[in-house]
Amino acid sequence: MLPVVMFALSLMIFALQMSLTPTQRLAAYAPSPDFLKGGQESIRALIEQYGLNDPFYIQYGRWIGNILTGNLGWSETARQPVGVALASLLPATIELVFLAFFPGLFLAIYLGSRAGIHLNRWPDHLIRVFTILGWSFPVYVFGLLMLLIFYSALDWFPPGRLSQWAQAVVSSPDFVRYTGANTVDALLNGNFSVFLDALRHLVAPVVTLIYVNLANMTRVMRTSMLETLRQDYVRTARAKGMPRRVVELHHARRNALLPVATIAGMELAYMMGGVVITETIFDYSGLGQFAAKSAANLDFPAILGFGLYFAVVLVVLNLLVDLIYPLLDPRVKTK
Amino acid sequence: MRALTIAAGLLLGLAASSASAETKNPGTFVFLWTDDVQSFDPAYIANTPSSYGVLNVYSRLLNYKGSEISEFVPAISTEVPSLENGLIKQGPDGSVTYTFPIRKGVRTHKVGVKGADGKVTWEYLDTLTDAQKSSVEPGYGEITAEDVRYSFLRAILMGQSWMSNAITEVITAGKYPDIAKWVEAEGGGAKIKEASPDVLRKVYDQLASQITVEADKVTMKLPKSFPATLGVVALPFGASIVDKEWVASVGGWDGSGDTWIKYYRPELSADPLFAQENGSGPFMLEDWNRTERRITLKRFNNYFLEPASLERVVMRTVPEWTTRRLQLLSGDADFVTTPVEFLDELSKTDGIKVVDGLPKVFGRGLFFAWPVDDADNPAIGSGKLDGAGIPPDFFADIDVRKGFNYAQNYDALLKQVLLGKTVQSRGPSVRGIMGYRPDSPVYSYNPAKAAEHFKKAYGGKLWETGFTLTAYVQEGTPQGTAALSALQQGLQRINPKFKLKIQSLPWASISDKLNNRAKPASPLTYMGWGPDYSDPGGPLGAASYYLSPTGLVGGMVGQGYRDLMAEKFKPLLDEAWASNDPAVREPIYAKLQEMSYEYATTQFLWEEFGYIVTRSNIDGFVNNMILYGAWDFSTIKKAN
Repeated sequence: MLPVVMFALSLMIFALQMSLTPTQRLAAYAPSPDFLKGGQESIRALIEQYGLNDPFYIQYGRWIGNILTGNLGWSETARQPVGVALASLLPATIELVFLAFFPGLFLAIYLGSRAGIHLNRWPDHLIRVFTILGWSFPVYVFGLLMLLIFYSALDWFPPGRLSQWAQAVVSSPDFVRYTGANTVDALLNGNFSVFLDALRHLVAPVVTLIYVNLANMTRVMRTSMLETLRQDYVRTARAKGMPRRVVELHHARRNALLPVATIAGMELAYMMGGVVITETIFDYSGLGQFAAKSAANLDFPAILGFGLYFAVVLVVLNLLVDLIYPLLDPRVKTK
Repeated sequence: MRALTIAAGLLLGLAASSASAETKNPGTFVFLWTDDVQSFDPAYIANTPSSYGVLNVYSRLLNYKGSEISEFVPAISTEVPSLENGLIKQGPDGSVTYTFPIRKGVRTHKVGVKGADGKVTWEYLDTLTDAQKSSVEPGYGEITAEDVRYSFLRAILMGQSWMSNAITEVITAGKYPDIAKWVEAEGGGAKIKEASPDVLRKVYDQLASQITVEADKVTMKLPKSFPATLGVVALPFGASIVDKEWVASVGGWDGSGDTWIKYYRPELSADPLFAQENGSGPFMLEDWNRTERRITLKRFNNYFLEPASLERVVMRTVPEWTTRRLQLLSGDADFVTTPVEFLDELSKTDGIKVVDGLPKVFGRGLFFAWPVDDADNPAIGSGKLDGAGIPPDFFADIDVRKGFNYAQNYDALLKQVLLGKTVQSRGPSVRGIMGYRPDSPVYSYNPAKAAEHFKKAYGGKLWETGFTLTAYVQEGTPQGTAALSALQQGLQRINPKFKLKIQSLPWASISDKLNNRAKPASPLTYMGWGPDYSDPGGPLGAASYYLSPTGLVGGMVGQGYRDLMAEKFKPLLDEAWASNDPAVREPIYAKLQEMSYEYATTQFLWEEFGYIVTRSNIDGFVNNMILYGAWDFSTIKKAN
């Protein structure tokens, strides 16, 4: 499935860029507008140089040929090869997303179960109001609120990935970059101060992401829990005299997780594609900012490369969700 | 619940670790902007943001004297050439030579250290012990006259940036705009990529013979006068000096006349000087994280002039204004790019300093064009002088142009729109450019005089019939729209039959109306121009921009304008350009400035202005207009 999706996606993006004129596409190769100052003659020469007048299949074939040899092209936005740019930004995005996604997922499961179990009682009302509030908040509003309170007023959680002093430590030759994720690398280097600093910079974007993404998963979990709690096997278990807590948490909750797994997979894929607004507000250099800037710059090699990366993420995560289903519900495997 | 308690404890612990000092990051200047650096190769860069890197890591023969744009101080050259000191000489054949005595002992950031095996490795000079310093290979990391020659040849032969190509214009005295045209001329029209090795060698030999080294002096021989030479030589673009041995060691051009074409217009990724440097400037490039858009510069302690006060400069691209603003307020940033509408608020904020009204060599104006395209052109309505339109050569009548200039309320614009932060533009040459005189005549709002000229225009017919025309302004330029609105009201008050329509368009559409047709399609356009060097003459100078029939403005505003320039202005432009003596040239450019008033060539509105917003403990910013406000970090001081 992966090759088919990737082929289709690459074809679509490539077709989109081919709808522009060669001169417009040439802008993608221009290091600055001054590059195109040489007039029509110079522009024609550059179009020729980059083969922008060649037929679609030749240009596409040239690009695919490069991909197969591991060359995704040169990104003018990042001013380095697309593959290098993606590889250097991926750890930052993974660090942010994982720290936001997994706690968010567990919190959603917990809150959704609580709400379902305590239907129409105060925990349910409280959780529903709390999550709906998060859903109602546009991410940029909540993010800015976080910045205003926890950075501007309290100076607790600053934007960026590291403070200047920590950045100097991380950039020094003595600090080994094992993964590119600051928290992990700091621990592996045994530098707890840098670890704390990296964590301090992650708190605000992580809390923002958790809160604004919590509502969806919590509501699915609540609904699923309600449905499961009405099942005959739950009633039977209770009738057999099993403790309520065991029935709710071990029997019902596990079965209620199936729809959440689907939603969570999609959520994770979306976040791995880059959380543009969160990254922008918190000045966090990740894939989202890169993708958005590449699109704004008509940086086609970067857009195409990012598209391919996202296709891979999507397919791999779908595969993972498929693999998790049987673990949650053995009947899926039997079927 | 236990997990929540642990999480809350961790958060409080993290918060407690964030106790902020009064001055954050002492010794480090944190510079948050919205731009980005293109490359660290001086021969490659072509825009102002990119010059921030090169300006600080490389040195030039001369530096601008503080904020002066026509005065220079020695840098790598120990003297500023002039006619008086004999370093500028005029030959009997009309040629002009500029000689630069090269300072001794100018070291680059990295020097070549010879190991026991005889192999040269490049090491940071600041980290070398005295014993290691004695093993430095002569010439490897020391700026010599040969390095200066090589740097200029490299910039010209790379042909990459239009700013580097300005050096080609210098060395050919304007004969060729770039090396490609030079090769074409020598090769009988063959394009540079198709030129034979013999032609390429011939061009190289011609070029190399014009930049020569004798002892510790470099001499540039120009076939004729090019008075903007020193202004170009002091710019960071192309004229920054690189170390020949180091460039060759990292895979760059080795200086051979037979191989230069391989390095002509390289891909950015193939340019070895793109992301590394070995300059002799006050700062070294310590780190450039291009994905995180963060540049870290570190002080060079062996800088040949006074070492910088700052230990480090961190330049980060932060697109979101709120984030930049909060970082400035909290002291995490020392400078932030600021939208103009926040200046007043920030100027009243404790700990923040706003320096406003910084002059720029950039003038704004309303540009008259004639004749304009009469085919299907909505800007001229009926295309006739019947009240419903204008004839295509409407602005050919000097009384129309003067009437328009007297109908503009300059004072109101300066006070109410520009809040008194700048001055009225007096012509092509703005403050600091030769030919600018603060007492030269300017137009002011005078309805009576405007009516007088309009009544004379077209033999009195214009006053009877009135006119309707459309003026264009770029979208998102409220000051331009305000200028046109003020003119619109002024015209209406003078004669209700004078109807000016205002249309905002994307710049691409306006450019299309001005550039991509045999005749321009916009009779009146709000635009602005800034010169590329401080001299008013030459292909890229302020006076030539506006007043030469081959200047950029002339190219856009119609044959009628060009004819007027050719007849009245070109002789004086040529006369001024032929001389290297400022005493001869200044009165001519001043005369040209007055003539631009007399002939009402353009409605000159105001000089652009700049501003900076920093923490209040930051001092030392020097606003040099010709560097377009680029930050020279060597002068910056951050108090603790």
